[in-house]
Amino acid sequence: MKFKDKYAIVGVGYTPQGRVPGRTMLSFHVEAAADAIADAGLTKKDIDGLISYRHFPAAIGEPDVTPYLVAQHLGISPTYMSQEANCARSHLLHAIGALESGLCNYVVISYGHNALSSDSMRKLLYQRGSEEMVYGHFGASADYALAARRAMHMFRTGPETWKHIAVGQRKWANLNPRAMLYDETMTFEDYFNARWVVEPFRLFDNCLVTDGGRACVITTAERARDLRHRPVRIMGIGQHNPSDYVQRASHLAGPTGAKKAGEKALQKAGVTLGDVDACEVYDCFTYTVEITLQDLGFFGPGEGEDWFAGGRIEPGGAMPVNTSGGLLSESYQMGLTQITEAAMQLMGRCGKRQLGPATQTKEPQIILCTDNGGTLQTSACYILGRL
Amino acid sequence: MEYTKPLPAVNADNEQFWKGCADHELRFQKCTQCGFVRWPASIICPECHSGDTELIRANGKGTVYSFVVYHVAYHPEFKDDLPYVVALVELDEGPRILSNIVGCAPGDVACDMPVEVVWEDITGEWSLPKFRPLS
Repeated sequence: MKFKDKYAIVGVGYTPQGRVPGRTMLSFHVEAAADAIADAGLTKKDIDGLISYRHFPAAIGEPDVTPYLVAQHLGISPTYMSQEANCARSHLLHAIGALESGLCNYVVISYGHNALSSDSMRKLLYQRGSEEMVYGHFGASADYALAARRAMHMFRTGPETWKHIAVGQRKWANLNPRAMLYDETMTFEDYFNARWVVEPFRLFDNCLVTDGGRACVITTAERARDLRHRPVRIMGIGQHNPSDYVQRASHLAGPTGAKKAGEKALQKAGVTLGDVDACEVYDCFTYTVEITLQDLGFFGPGEGEDWFAGGRIEPGGAMPVNTSGGLLSESYQMGLTQITEAAMQLMGRCGKRQLGPATQTKEPQIILCTDNGGTLQTSACYILGRL
Repeated sequence: MEYTKPLPAVNADNEQFWKGCADHELRFQKCTQCGFVRWPASIICPECHSGDTELIRANGKGTVYSFVVYHVAYHPEFKDDLPYVVALVELDEGPRILSNIVGCAPGDVACDMPVEVVWEDITGEWSLPKFRPLS
């Protein structure tokens, strides 16, 4: 089944984000979803599909965030509903499948978390297997740091490469009033002066922890034409899930799942890397951005430091990357940070950070997005374009 | 002194491994069909799907595949250990296991460095395999 250009993103939903205490995880899902529905120019009566992102452990006193609970609070009765239990990041693919099969016409994809103000993240850390916790091993930073360290052993990479990613993305965040670090500039010196977290990662190699939510609405290209904003067409999707147990994995220093996912997405879209105007790359850590772009084929192993140098990914650069500031400098909304930013850029709604003349960059026709989960165990790539 | 860090949580899959550790032995499942030595423990071989398995005892020697240095204690009981090293150790028999590198400064650890097991008896019941530079 060919789905190229048959489906489109038509609305984006935001919530207050950053440190937003006194809110449940559910409330961010619900507010973001309602905002996305209104943004698309739709009403709740139109929404017959709901996909909620993987949820984290509910904080004390809060319910488990299931899609039916989100639906209940939105006052909708979808004919299609789904949620992934873990990090597969298949939501756009599921939305297309549901639309293609005729199960529904308008799908909302939602994410929300009160990660900064609740005890949810601590619960998540302590859910690690005992084979890890007995050695004091907790959380994603250290797993990705293990991957990054192996990469440092295999090819030329490390903080001298990652500083360009951290600083470059911060420059985008400084143009985005919604970004958690909008007011905080960063120099290379700041990057190196920041404290170690799990070496080889310093503080600014790590993504933000956020209270907030994000959502978007997907429908057919045909229906999209009647809605409020210029639709964003879904040109291609690819996925690859190496899955391997981190301890046994051979993909930590690449090639990760991004390689096959990227090849498939570009092939489905019928375009090449040369046609891509900007990238929104899942950036849980700086190294993730490097290895993803490397595996996509933008540069060879060890060539990242030279490729990033000179501001290539920054405002004014030849290949803008993570134009909202990304997970490192805007906010952590899982893969929806990337998808919604690409959609907003292609709709032309990004203000000071808008790709094109406003930022001395190419007017965007095609944006490549990625998403990954686990420790590079799952990867997805999406090619989005102007309709 | 009471041991207050997390303890191994034993389940039907990993029981043989932790029982082995109590005897200061690194026990792994080896597929008798294809010879693959697997970790984590599992009901079948992920390489060939055979369920025919024998337990082998690893010699306790290997190399550091990768390592990190913790500067943040995500669990309060590890605060006094900072900075400490968590590593993936590739054993001579094939499997890679997560552990700590002890007996040297964090700055002296390197990828591919030869290491050997050293047992830490944490309670009367449990022992953890840790690794130190090969003497």
